[in-house]
Amino acid sequence: MVETAYAARHDLELVALAVAGGRPAFGELVRRHGSAVRALLRRMGAEPHLADDLAQDAFLAAFEQITEFRGEGTFQAWVKRIAVRAYVKRWRRDAHEELMADTPELASAGADPAAVIDLDEALRSLSDPERVCVTLCYGAGMSHSEAALALNAPLGTVKSHVKRGIDKLRLRLAPSGRMESRVNG
Amino acid sequence: MVDRNFEMELDRLFADHPAFADADLFALRVETNLERGWTFRRFLIGGLGLAGGLVGAAQLLGSGLGPRLNALAAHYAPNIEVNWTDVAFSHVLPGGLEVNGEILWMSAALAAVAVGFALTRAIREI
Repeated sequence: MVETAYAARHDLELVALAVAGGRPAFGELVRRHGSAVRALLRRMGAEPHLADDLAQDAFLAAFEQITEFRGEGTFQAWVKRIAVRAYVKRWRRDAHEELMADTPELASAGADPAAVIDLDEALRSLSDPERVCVTLCYGAGMSHSEAALALNAPLGTVKSHVKRGIDKLRLRLAPSGRMESRVNG
Repeated sequence: MVDRNFEMELDRLFADHPAFADADLFALRVETNLERGWTFRRFLIGGLGLAGGLVGAAQLLGSGLGPRLNALAAHYAPNIEVNWTDVAFSHVLPGGLEVNGEILWMSAALAAVAVGFALTRAIREI
């Protein structure tokens, strides 16, 4: 019954309750936005178990820093940023740093223009840096500058990864103007 | 030049995410971890409060407060013979119970525990 009461409330109301120490209210926020954060981390390239762990850490960190949420954007976007920053930190630590250098254009091998594929599958055709840059900018809503800052990479490098990534996605997602959203579960 | 329409479509595709079957379980895990963290914090704060209270009480007793009070009383009211230790305890303790260092320590310890719990509670409320 308590959960039902929380379910009817707006995110900002739940945040206000969480600021006052309301953990059940925060639990409702996790229920609402957990899947979005987990899916975003997976789309960035995290393995499912790692994505779940990082998402959990992001929510725990969000609760700790809940007073810093000013309501300027959505709560989900705020937690997503916390989560992707944690993932990027880990990703860079795991010896992927060199990948942030400009990589040569990769041929979109195996792309079948006739096949209609979903976003998750299309993202897999991107190189790691492209996928991370595109996901930061379109999934987490960061500007190119913010993504560059999060990745500690030059702005131009990020821009070029985003552009190449988008070009590949366009090719994979809309081969004949049939783009459709078919997100896998 | 990036196609604006495609960018908007990409935004929409990213916003469209799968609903995980174990979403409730995930939320429960986070809530459990939050609760565990707060329980640990409460005990930590309580423990620190207790330790602080004990140290404070020990300092207070070690500083020879009783004899000093007696000396002060003797100085300012030489005609009144008062033993501060007797004053402090004679009205509080049931008759016949001997006032000694142990009772004093026990009282100080209980006070420290009370301060610890009060501190924990106050921080939780804040």
